[in-house]
Amino acid sequence: MSGRRSRSRQSSGTSRISEDQINDLIVKLQQLLPELRDSRRSDKVSAARVLQDTCNYIRNLHREVDDLSERLSELLANTDTAQAALIRSLLTQ
Amino acid sequence: MASQDKSINTDVPEKDVFALHFLQSLSNLKTQNPSNSPDKTNDRVKKIKMAAYVSMARAAGGRRLWSRALLRRAASENNKIVRFPRRKRRVTWLSRRRCNRRAPVEEKAADRLRDLVPGGGEMETSKLMKETAHYIKCLSMQVKVMQCLVDGLSPK
Repeated sequence: MSGRRSRSRQSSGTSRISEDQINDLIVKLQQLLPELRDSRRSDKVSAARVLQDTCNYIRNLHREVDDLSERLSELLANTDTAQAALIRSLLTQ
Repeated sequence: MASQDKSINTDVPEKDVFALHFLQSLSNLKTQNPSNSPDKTNDRVKKIKMAAYVSMARAAGGRRLWSRALLRRAASENNKIVRFPRRKRRVTWLSRRRCNRRAPVEEKAADRLRDLVPGGGEMETSKLMKETAHYIKCLSMQVKVMQCLVDGLSPK
């Protein structure tokens, strides 16, 4: 498996990830989170906080997908032919 | 939503690509499963959810670990609901090494993240964070498209 191969390559020490790179990734992750995006670099947010908020954000998105799936299911069950035509027209765009 | 970060922003799939995959699965579902009984309703919700995640993974392509993990799981679970990963603790020696480097509280948070990102259980920390960034972008795109569809189909 390629995953396993790349891991063993990593352990050989040539491509060890530095602390700086990890911190850089944390900052990038932080920029994706609605709650933390606007905090400036000066007010430093801890890595643990960023990771924690990332988890919460993903959970929220999963919940939204659950919710939207339910609503879509209802809507599609009651879809009349006109709406089916709408879907088809979206498909052919 | 615009982020200036190029290094992890370049290959986020277009909305249209996801929408196309998703609408195709939906129209297949519609023809396959016309019944309206309560059982079937529940079943259909699961199928729609599954279709959404699979379409997202397809749109993201095969170069991402999370998308490959998601598609693998979807294929193996067949009609079952898409569940997020039970972690396989195959990287224990690596985790121990990570623990020496990072604070335990960070490790705990990273482990929780591993449970949420498909395939995350097998990623070391920096990979996990890159994949997470990409996964979040795709997921929020997915939510937006689904919301548009719901709005479009809702009676005015």
